Amino acid sequence: MDEETSQNKEEEQETQSQVSNEEKKKSFSFKPDLSGLKGLYEAQYKKLLIIPFTLLLIAILLIGFKVATTGDFINRDVSLKGGVTVTLPTNQEIDILQLENSLSSKFPANDLSIKSLSQLGKQVGVIVEADIGEENREEQIERLINEISNSLNRELTANDYSIEIVGSSLGASFFKEIIIALLIAFVLMVLVVFIYFRTLIPSAAVILAVFSDILITVAIVNLLGMKLSTAGIAAFLMLIGYSVDTNILLSTRVLKRKEGTENERFYGAFRTGITMSLTTLTVAISALIFTQSEVIKQIMIILLIGLLTDLINTWIQNVGILRIYLERKAKKLMEQ
Amino acid sequence: MNIKIKKIFTNARVIILLIFLVLAIIAISPRPGAEGVAIRNLIANSSAIEAGIQQPLLTTKLVDRERILAIDNRPINDVEDYYNYVSALEPNKSVQIKTNQGLYRLRTREISEETEDIGIRVFNSPKTNIRKGLDLQGGTRVLLQPETQLPKQDLQSLIDTMEERLNIYGLSDLIIRDASDLIGNQYILVEIAGANEEEIRDLLAKQGKFEAQIGNKSVFVGGKDITFVCRSADCAGINPNVGCYRSSGQNVCGFRFSISITPEAAQKQADATRDLTLVDSGSYLSSPLELYLDDTKVDELNIGAELQGSATTSIQISGSGTGSSEQEAVINAMNNMKRLQTVLITGSLPVKLDIVKIDAISPLLGKEFLKNALMVGLVALISVGIVIFIRYRKLQVAIPMVLMSVSEVIILLGFAALIGWNIDLAAVAGIIIAVGTGIDHQIVIADETLRGKGVIYDWKQRIKNAFFIIMASYFTVVVALVPLVFAGAGLLKGFAITTILGASIGVFISRPVFARTIEILLKD
Repeated sequence: MDEETSQNKEEEQETQSQVSNEEKKKSFSFKPDLSGLKGLYEAQYKKLLIIPFTLLLIAILLIGFKVATTGDFINRDVSLKGGVTVTLPTNQEIDILQLENSLSSKFPANDLSIKSLSQLGKQVGVIVEADIGEENREEQIERLINEISNSLNRELTANDYSIEIVGSSLGASFFKEIIIALLIAFVLMVLVVFIYFRTLIPSAAVILAVFSDILITVAIVNLLGMKLSTAGIAAFLMLIGYSVDTNILLSTRVLKRKEGTENERFYGAFRTGITMSLTTLTVAISALIFTQSEVIKQIMIILLIGLLTDLINTWIQNVGILRIYLERKAKKLMEQ
Repeated sequence: MNIKIKKIFTNARVIILLIFLVLAIIAISPRPGAEGVAIRNLIANSSAIEAGIQQPLLTTKLVDRERILAIDNRPINDVEDYYNYVSALEPNKSVQIKTNQGLYRLRTREISEETEDIGIRVFNSPKTNIRKGLDLQGGTRVLLQPETQLPKQDLQSLIDTMEERLNIYGLSDLIIRDASDLIGNQYILVEIAGANEEEIRDLLAKQGKFEAQIGNKSVFVGGKDITFVCRSADCAGINPNVGCYRSSGQNVCGFRFSISITPEAAQKQADATRDLTLVDSGSYLSSPLELYLDDTKVDELNIGAELQGSATTSIQISGSGTGSSEQEAVINAMNNMKRLQTVLITGSLPVKLDIVKIDAISPLLGKEFLKNALMVGLVALISVGIVIFIRYRKLQVAIPMVLMSVSEVIILLGFAALIGWNIDLAAVAGIIIAVGTGIDHQIVIADETLRGKGVIYDWKQRIKNAFFIIMASYFTVVVALVPLVFAGAGLLKGFAITTILGASIGVFISRPVFARTIEILLKD
């Protein structure tokens, strides 16, 4: 064991200089001296594994706590629990807090949430969500519209605003449906990964990374107090697709390729994978800044959190597990 | 360099991509300068229909829709122009409407001392064949759930009944289909562009009734009094006694089909017709059989003289269809017949429907969303281009990568235009995802090929390596989204299908081109 580690270290130092030479030639000019960090990353991969596993554990605890206290593992918005959403685009300056107070006092029995519809940080309208039930829905909606129009001192006609009404049983069944879809998607993804790699540990590592991505993202989304819509849950499906990409890339490069040293393959995969994540993050961030659609905004926030989480789960968790796996495999071969 | 460019454009894969691009652009057929307002639909029995303006068919491509260019020589540039002018029309005046297909003259009518709507619904002239989803153009989406589960064929006839009703009301630009979810719940999804929620709520939720009257006396009602409606060729179709003929410049074709009514209803009809006089040189009775749907008269049938006072249970119902050519007249006659048969069979809806979801999207918001979605796409593409360039410092890599992404979007939109797929916000999100995965795959290709430089194996092997990873990623994206196609009443179907389609176009059409292109550009 000791022998092997020192051997490994030698090898790593060698590649380290190779890599940094290569990087000087290439474009990565932002680097201060990262060699200390790099040494840590290469030598202490086992200890580093504590980070993703702690995060996963905290996420599971947080989600468990959420389920215990609210009975749900996420906050559902009206599209998933039933209710009414009114979207009003306007140039008028609207004080969200004031509107919220005035509407809440008129609808004490309802759970109301008022959001600003914004683009580039500028308010371009307002979104009012209310969990109005099936009983006297029509009248209540009319009253809601009237109150909004009173608060804003403005006459509202049907063309001025958008209104979405979701029955509560439909909302609940949508929620159930999308969770089922998410589970099926996950199982199918597991199948694809196993068919592709056909070895237990590396496949399990990929799946664990995706699993952690989803759970940690759910926990963060909850901490931010975000209410998820149908589109938000669909974003988790996309997260499955995206986060599995970098993990497949890593495992393929490290396990199926023969050229270069193991370490070179890890770093090669790292460079490609980071570029992939960076471009996707760029798309997510620019969409987040520029869009005014709540649907797209929510998808992009979830994707953003998920991809950042994936950086840890791919490049610390999965890398750590793969290194241990390769180490054991080499040991077994030596013993034979 | 010139040799390399020549090599690229003579490559089979590149040529295939270019062909797809050309086909996509033809399907989208951009018309940046399209003038006027396009006709969305005409209201039944309106003065516009009387003037001979054709009801647009749903299957007509958007850019081929008839467009109103001017009214009374005043140019009409947008929807606002149109409604401003039309709402100021006086009753009983002649109006001249100039479209890109002809000149029509109609007379405004008076209704309770006001001008009756001339009956044309319009939308701003489409610049492309891409159908915008409701959230991008405004309109109403209603999700209904039958109170009891229906067998498949009953569900279809229920949908036919609803569509018929909406058409009678004057709404034709609509999508109505059954939807289900993973647990097997049934839904009916109705999407109507440019309609507001209040006018269709009743139309959809009301159960509806059909009634036949002779001289204000009810004779039979749909459903319970009609025992049989013939729809087979031997007793339904073009009327052999009338056939097709020309009348006042139009082709007219007659249809007929027989129905059976209960003996009680037959007796009622006998009583109602006994005292009528003969008209039209003795061939028809003085009062026609009038058919009402939800208290609106939808048709009027002349009763043959030989049926007077007799309690016949078999009735032949006839009608006609017109068209500018005989073929068109036949099609219209058969459609009219089918409509009438549908009404007679399913006079009222078989079950009560509950509205479980209504979305009414303001056209103002939709317009904003569209502009915004385009901008987001552009910004995302530019920023990705910058990141790629910073990473590779090679235009030979960055430019093809961005070009490939743009082509993927164009082909995807072309496909959507071709099959009449609606591009809504969820589909926009799908396009963004597809482009994102596309870029990821191209990074894998670029890195595999650049990395392989100097190492022993050849280009083919490098690209094969890249595709090993790409296919794994492609399969996971597809399997992750397939369940969504079937879940939740299909409301996220558009998102799932757009993403899957976009990823497939990438993997099978543009990815091989990218691999080949950078191979040519980077190979010494």
